[in-house]
This record gives sequence, structure tokens and C-alpha cells, in this order.
Amino acid sequence: MLETSFVQHRLANGLDVVIEQMAQVPSVACGFLVKTGSRDEPAAQAGAAHFLEHMCFKGTDRRSWQQIGIELDAVGAQYNAYTSKDRTFYYGWVRPENVEKQIDMLADMMRPTLPADQFDLEKNVVLEEIAMAGDDLTSVAYDALYEHLCPNHPMAWPVLGYANTIEAMTRRDMADFIAHHYVPRAMTLIVAGRIDPDRILDTAQRWCGSWPKSDAAVQRTPPAISGGHAVRTFARFHQQAVLLAFPATPAGRPDEEAAEAVAAILGGANSRFYWNIVQKGLSRRAGVFYEGYADFGVLVMFALCEGDNADRALAAMRTEAEMFAAHGPQPHELQRVKNLRRTGLAAESEAPYYRLGQLADDLAYRGRPRTPAERLANVDAVTADRIADYLGRFPITGAGLLVGVGPREDLIDKAS
Amino acid sequence: MPATMPPEPIEHRRLDCGVELAVMAMPERPVVAMMIRLLAGYAFEQPEHLGVAHVLEESLSKGTARRNGRELNDAFDAIGATHSSYAGRETVGFLCTCLPEFTAQALALHAEMIRTPSFPEDACRTGVELTRQALAALEDDPGELVRKLLHRHAYGPPLDRHLFGEKQTLDGIDRSSVVAHHERLFAADRMHVAVAGAVDPSRIAEQIDRAFEGFAPPPDAARQTPGAQAGTDGRWPLQFLSGLWHYDKQLEQQHIAICFPCSAVTDEDFPVEQVLVAVLSGGMSSRLFTEVREKLGLVYWVGAWADHPRAGGMLHLGASTTPQRADQTYATLLREVDRVSEDLTADELDRAITGLVTAIQTRGDVARARATRMADDMFYHGRPIATAEKIARIRAVTTEDIARYLQRHRRDRLGVVTLGPRRLDTEGVDPERGQ
Repeated sequence: MLETSFVQHRLANGLDVVIEQMAQVPSVACGFLVKTGSRDEPAAQAGAAHFLEHMCFKGTDRRSWQQIGIELDAVGAQYNAYTSKDRTFYYGWVRPENVEKQIDMLADMMRPTLPADQFDLEKNVVLEEIAMAGDDLTSVAYDALYEHLCPNHPMAWPVLGYANTIEAMTRRDMADFIAHHYVPRAMTLIVAGRIDPDRILDTAQRWCGSWPKSDAAVQRTPPAISGGHAVRTFARFHQQAVLLAFPATPAGRPDEEAAEAVAAILGGANSRFYWNIVQKGLSRRAGVFYEGYADFGVLVMFALCEGDNADRALAAMRTEAEMFAAHGPQPHELQRVKNLRRTGLAAESEAPYYRLGQLADDLAYRGRPRTPAERLANVDAVTADRIADYLGRFPITGAGLLVGVGPREDLIDKAS
Repeated sequence: MPATMPPEPIEHRRLDCGVELAVMAMPERPVVAMMIRLLAGYAFEQPEHLGVAHVLEESLSKGTARRNGRELNDAFDAIGATHSSYAGRETVGFLCTCLPEFTAQALALHAEMIRTPSFPEDACRTGVELTRQALAALEDDPGELVRKLLHRHAYGPPLDRHLFGEKQTLDGIDRSSVVAHHERLFAADRMHVAVAGAVDPSRIAEQIDRAFEGFAPPPDAARQTPGAQAGTDGRWPLQFLSGLWHYDKQLEQQHIAICFPCSAVTDEDFPVEQVLVAVLSGGMSSRLFTEVREKLGLVYWVGAWADHPRAGGMLHLGASTTPQRADQTYATLLREVDRVSEDLTADELDRAITGLVTAIQTRGDVARARATRMADDMFYHGRPIATAEKIARIRAVTTEDIARYLQRHRRDRLGVVTLGPRRLDTEGVDPERGQ
């Protein structure tokens, strides 16, 4: 494992700067983590956080939208941004000599001016993105899952929002969203790679130090996780998506790695789902993933299958979950998770961009960065007893929430 | 990155066993990445067994002479080796990343899997069934479906095929056809192996030579694929058929896929083409992103890319948009290709070049990317090419080169497929004239 070290600093306005020095790599990745996402939107403005992410590329006091694209490309940055339910992240991966320029541009983008003509034009782009997601079964299924999992809560709506909320959105709405959420205390500048920390801190101060301090705090309430059985019928999809969800530990808690291990052993590579569902021909893709947020988590079992196989795939998912809950992991299954993580962490330390993503997770949910060694120690601490304890608190048997999306009008579920 | 890069420690040779090997020792790295490729992709399938390469790739890890499938996969996990495989058009490949101390074991496990697969009957049956499901599932993946249809129409055989074959050919695949594909095409002299990371080049060469010694087809296994002949150098010629084809499908968006011939990777103009593609579709200031998305708001996704079989190349343009915007999107895509040869600026060229070079030096620097790039070089060029040489050739491209390239590869004949609720307005769409 390559050695790394952190430098952390808070500007007077509350903006955190977290730097990971990776002297052995020939590049630098940097990004702004904004701790806001679709769960912070009013219902009438569903999709605002993601639409704003687009608008951050569309003009500032110092740069037009053309200049932003031109300057990002002129330094050869490998850059992009994404929005999730609880965060927005803007990042770039550059050669060391360009990191200060990259921070300048990303910082500038955090203060968008929302030009009126660009606002209207970009609506079309977002509407096209929504249309594209409407043709994607996995996207439709994921959105349906959260709609039923967190009813009457902002977690329920899609990150992209809806066509009608995007069409109705105004520049004033978005400016209000920026004022509340793009405040220094809710943002972190993260930099990883071959860097001089002092120069990074000087650069951060230069471009972000004048941002006004704000004590506005985001108020979030955890959703009430819902169970049940919901089927969305779409004749135009060939496959059936079957999703089975159970409450899980929030992100950043000590038992997060236990949840990850359950997901990997049940539904990762060389997993029980792979051998007992995919390799039985019931589904071409079946697995388990864990999604953790600051105040709740969810473990999701899924299968994409032919409509005729859906009931058997669902029954097999439940059987595997019951077997695992009853007997726990085999020693070699637990060891596999640790071995693969060790290799993954080593590979990650070659590439600053991969580290950036992990740091963003740590900072969003733990409030501090973890070294690869600490992360590995957290994984190594997972035992069969800890998994049993975890499953006692977050069971994966019982009804859970079943969601079906595809041509079937209903699913036959032995649990109902 | 210094102006003059130090020479890379790449060792390249054909081993006694027949394997072509490239190794880049990067002793400071914490991992080793290994890419193994065999010239055994779906272009080499027998016409009556289209899809067998994918079935083989699905079945290969399900057992060997020594272990059953679970034991084999558990052995990889026991050393923490992340491994994946694919079946492609011309190659079947295996990519593995492991800690340096497990390199020999990872290699031995790959050799066992590649040389002595047992192809259990039930695993082959499942492989066929999963491939059949994957073929049917293309209906839910319009982006991939439209590309499949474009290849089917615009590429001549056998490069017009798709990974998942055809329903009727899958029905005829069983264990014996999988075994036949393996026996015919899996051999040391059809293998490229590229290794990058903390590895001793001499030692890994010895290990590979030993692992694949005597790996050759049985004497009675026919090497030739009836129906379509590769050239004497084992490269399938790429033919091009122009035309406009529409497939009606209930979708939110209309998918547009366009192609026309471009240079081969081995052509001296290939770096010009790389820069051209970057000018069209490299970053946010690229032509297609700027004009189609940012100025007109016609799409969320738009792109240009080059597809390169071992011989030849095809330049692709693609976009998805709501049906009422499809005609304008199509016209704008073609207009932007034309405009590049008319008003490309030096700044645009510089940005495209900088983007390509930086990509090589950032995400292209990790061991896995290095191994993949060396395997690509052996596949196309027959030798790994130093990063400095690639960068120098990219940096040498001028605006005049781009204009000359577009003269040489005119888009006056197009292959066009649309997939969605409506046809393009064919009044303005003649693929023979490219209007």
C-alpha cells in the first residue's frame, strides 16, 4: 500500500479544504463536494440540484459558458460532475502543473450567474436527459424503488426531477437554491495527487476566500422506510426488473462494512446470487447493492430477467437471503471480501481520481478522510459474529419492499 | 511531465511457446496488471454458430481439468486478484489486477483456465441461455441496439456480426461447438500478453513461456473459418455499404447512428483521426457538444468515435433526441463534420491535442491502462509503441492535416440507422450524397 498523508484546513468562511498528498503519482485530481442533492429540493422544484449542476457550466461573472468549456479543455482536464440524492460533485483530473488553474475554474463554476438564455436552453438538455432515462429500464426501476421506499419524502423523486417541474422552474428558484445550499460550510474542496499543499491552500484562499460566510443549515429529516409490494407495468420493456429492498445501516457507521460485506457475499462477483441465480439461467444480471446515506441506508437485491423467469428469480433471491441470514458467511467468503478490497485499495492509490471519489464518501458521511490503511482495517474487522449482529438489527428476510418494473402485471411472491 | 520523456522500460518479444509478450516494469507501483488476448473473437465464428465466442467466454471460468467453476473462482479470490473477461469482435480477452506477490499465481490460474477448460455441459447450456437472454435484452438498450443494426447494415461480413449472435444460430450451439471454437482458435501463437506494474520482466517471461509451452490446437482442428476469409496476415477486410435504414420502436427518444469509412490504426494518418475525433467530441468545447447540445439544446448525449477492426476503420456519429428534434440533430451532426475542414482554429486543435495527451498521462498512466494499451499496440501494430512516440505523433498534427484527412475520407457516402418512433425527413437525407 502506497503511503499517503492528509492536510486539512478550514477557511474563515467555513469552506473545508482536504488535501491528500500522493507523491508517487504523476497527476492530480481535485473537486468540489457540495453536500446537497435532490433530497434538499422542494417538491415543486424536483430536479433543481441536478439542473443547477448543468447550469454551473453555463456562465459566471468571470467566464461565459464557451470560456468554461474552452478553458477546461485547454488544460486537458478529464472532468465532469454528477448529482445524487444527497450530494453534487464537480471534479477534474489534470497534470500537476495545471491544478491551480483547475481549482480556479471549478471555484468559479461554484458561483454561476444563470444567464437567462442559457437557462432556457439547458432546460431542453435536461428534458432530453429525462427522456433518455425513460428508455432505460434500470433507471426507471431505480426511480420506482425510491418512490415506494420513501413515500412522501424528497428521497422519493428522481434526481433528474420530472418534465413538469423542470419546465416550470425559474431562475429565481435556482438562485434561491444556490443561496441556501452552495454555501462554504456545506462545501469541501478535495485535492489528491502530487501537490504542494501550501500552494493548494493559497489557491483555495485566493478563489474561495471571499465567498460570504453563511450560517444557513440544511434541515434534513430521515424518511420513514416503507415496505410492501408494487408493480409498474411497461409493455414496451422486454425484461422484468425485480427489486427487493430492506432497511440498512446509515453510511459512515461502524457497521457499514458489515453491510458492504453482506452485499458482496450475496450479490457481488463469484457470489451466491451469481452461482445460484445467474448460473441457473434465471437472470442475466442479479446482484445486491448497499446504499448508505447520513440518516438511513438500504440494501437492495435485484434481478433483470425475462418476464417468465421473474417469479422464480424472486423466490431464489429470497431463498439466498434466508440461507445467509440463517447460516452466515463461509470463512472463505468473508476472506474474499477482504482480499479483493486490499487489491482494490492498492490499485486506487495509483490513480488520484479514484481516491477523490473515496474521499468524497468519507467526507460526506464521516466528516473526515480515511487513509487506505484505515479503510482496510475497517474491512478486516468484519467477522461472522459482526455480520450476525448486523443482520439481527437489519434483517434481510421478511417482506421488505418488493418492486417490479417491466411487462409483468404482477409478481408471485412467496412472502406475500 | 518533462518535455522529453525518459524511455519506457518496455520489453517485447515472441516467446518460444509462441506467445507475443510485452512487459513494462514499473517497480514503484503497488499492483500488477495483465491483459491476455487471443485472436478468437466472434469474427472467427463458424457462420452456423454465431454467438459461440460469447458462450465460450461465459463457460470458460466454469471449470478446468483440475477444478470446478467455484473452486477456480475461489482460487482467484484467495489471492485477491480482480479478473474479468470479454469476447470481442476479433479477440477474446482477460484482464487481471493483483498485488505483485501474487503475479505468478494469477498467471497460472489464467493459463489453467485458457488451456484446460472442461466446458461442463450444464455451464455451456447456461451460457447459451444467458446469451439468448442478452440478445433479447438488447430491445431494452436502444443505444446498443442501434449500433448493432448499423454494423449489420454498413459493415460487410464477418465484421457485421454481433457478440450475441442470432436467435437461430444460438439454438444450434452446444458444448461441442464451444469446444470446437476453443480447439480451433485458442493457441499460444494467437496470444498477446501485456503486463505492467511491479514485475520482473525476465521472470514473468519465463513463467509465461512455461505456462503456455505446447499450447497448440489438436492436429485435426481446422484453423480456417469457412465463408469469410481473413487476409494472409489474419486481418479481416472491412467493407462498407452505404444506405439509410429505419427501425420503428416505441421509445421516448429517437436514436441516430451514422458511419463512414476512416483510416486504419496502422495508417500514418491515424493520429490525425484521433485529433479529429477529439475536435468533434473530445470535451465541452468540442464541435458536437457545443453546437448540437449547448447552442441548440437538441440532445443530452451526442458523440463521435472511431471503430477499428484490425484492418480498416469506421468513423461514427451518434445522438439520441426526442423525435421532433431528430431531423435538425441529424443535419447538424453532418454540418459540423463538414465545418471542421472549413474553419478549424489553431486553438481548437491545441485543445484537442492537449486533451488527448493529458488523458494518456492521467487515466492512461495506471498499470491496467498501460497493459491494455500495450495489448492494443501488439494487436494493431505488432509491437508496443512508446508513449513518447504516440504523444509526438499527436502533437505533430496540424489544421492542414485535418483538412487533408477529411478530403481523403469524405463523408459522401454514409451508413445511417435510426431507431425510434419516426423516420427522418428523407427529403434532406440521402446517404449516397451525404446531405
